Amino acid sequence: MALSKRKRAEYFRYSQYTLLVVAALVIAFFADWEQIRTAFFNFKTMGDMFPNVITIALKNTLIYTALGFAFGLALGLVLALMKLSSIAPYRWIATIYIEFFRGIPALLVFIGLAFGVPLAFQLQFDIYSTVMLALGIVGAAYMAETIRAGIQAVPKGQVEAARSLGMSQGRAMITIVIPQAFRIILPPLTNELILLTKDSSLIYIIGLARDQYELTKFGRETLSRSPSLTPILVVGLCYLIITLPLGYLSRYLERRSGGKKVSVL
Amino acid sequence: MSEISVEITGLKKSFGSLDVLKGLDVTVNRGDVVCIIGPSGSGKSTLLRCVNLLEEPNDGKIVVNGVELTDQDVDIDLARTKIGMVFQSFNLFSHLNVLANLTVAQRKVLKRGEKEAQEIALRNLERVGLLEKANSMPAQLSGGQQQRVAIARALSMDPDVMLFDEPTSALDPELVGDVLGVMRQLADEGMTMLVVTHEMQFAREVADKVIFMDGGYIVEEGPAAEVIGNPQEPRTQEFLARVLDPTHHGPSDPV
Repeated sequence: MALSKRKRAEYFRYSQYTLLVVAALVIAFFADWEQIRTAFFNFKTMGDMFPNVITIALKNTLIYTALGFAFGLALGLVLALMKLSSIAPYRWIATIYIEFFRGIPALLVFIGLAFGVPLAFQLQFDIYSTVMLALGIVGAAYMAETIRAGIQAVPKGQVEAARSLGMSQGRAMITIVIPQAFRIILPPLTNELILLTKDSSLIYIIGLARDQYELTKFGRETLSRSPSLTPILVVGLCYLIITLPLGYLSRYLERRSGGKKVSVL
Repeated sequence: MSEISVEITGLKKSFGSLDVLKGLDVTVNRGDVVCIIGPSGSGKSTLLRCVNLLEEPNDGKIVVNGVELTDQDVDIDLARTKIGMVFQSFNLFSHLNVLANLTVAQRKVLKRGEKEAQEIALRNLERVGLLEKANSMPAQLSGGQQQRVAIARALSMDPDVMLFDEPTSALDPELVGDVLGVMRQLADEGMTMLVVTHEMQFAREVADKVIFMDGGYIVEEGPAAEVIGNPQEPRTQEFLARVLDPTHHGPSDPV
């Protein structure tokens, strides 16, 4: 006798629960718990990592990200304004820049700045400049599109009101449009900050002094001395300390702005 | 005293291949209230937006208080500080509170000091009866209140002439009176006003001159009592009949 649709759905749900329980039991019985514990939760390694993982690595990750974000935001704003320019060559330059740096791996930019530029131009940046430029150049390409969308989302009447009060085009942009645009794009910009936080890990390819280590480099160094997954787990959790609150902040800001969606593309 | 405030001659404006204004002459004397009426699409808003060059005319001459705005060398930003404009959709700066809405252009454009700008702002807020809303954000105000703030914002620049672009069209009916009241008070104080409106009662009672526009031309103009009370042109008669007694007419002919 054929089962009713509702009955079938019910049995299907039961079978999914059963599968989950079976999988959990298999792992519980056959896994080598001792090895897992020493691999992920090597308390000695954990102890050795503190406090430097916080006072050096986490701190540096925050500094590098902030530098890159600040530079990227400024450059992204310039690119966004170029993209909205009435002068076609400005639009072309901005488009080429954005498409180029969104399309290549961020790692390539880091390698280019850290190793290519010094060889090609006999220019030696310090670590902070390198990170700021590399993260900023990549971040700007993404942020430019977000900022452009934000500027375009400001109602045209706002500019007309500003112009009718005697403000010049530039003054209206700075005083009226850009502040409103940034309110609109705060949620996507926060997401951009999360991506940059993670991209700051790419600095690990550059030669760093100990007090310049950021989280990924720090984790990798610790790993080479105490071969277990513990260092990776610890620095991973440190990233979450930054990215989870930012994620909540972004969603909160989005709700607060009344779910006014800005399309970025 | 009939000094001329706004003088428009031979104004033409087109958007692409669409001719919106087909050669208009308008004169507004200082201290006069001129109401522009007409069906939608007749070009009356475009005419108003040409007066402060929010729309660039294709041809013609616009002189406001002796300054020819259509002269290529004129400082249009400076000229606009003397021409207040009020929009249908209010256009208050949504990221600034009411007081900052009234002071931002005073500070950035007229370079007034903070104290002076605030005093002028508060005085104008009082004129529109919203002194207690100085610290509110625009989104917290009703449409009628927002429009009164927008009027106070324009007044804070000490304009010589005020342009109103359908100032009550976006308002709920019970809020229209507040805004019209403020406008009537302004007119009584001697402000030169150019008003695009559908409020025939207001035009009839307040306007020194009424202009009826249709199809990009001025069809009829004159004292309110004549244009609204006793229109001579068939198109004016037809329009007014529809506006003043909308329930007793069939659908209009397709254009």
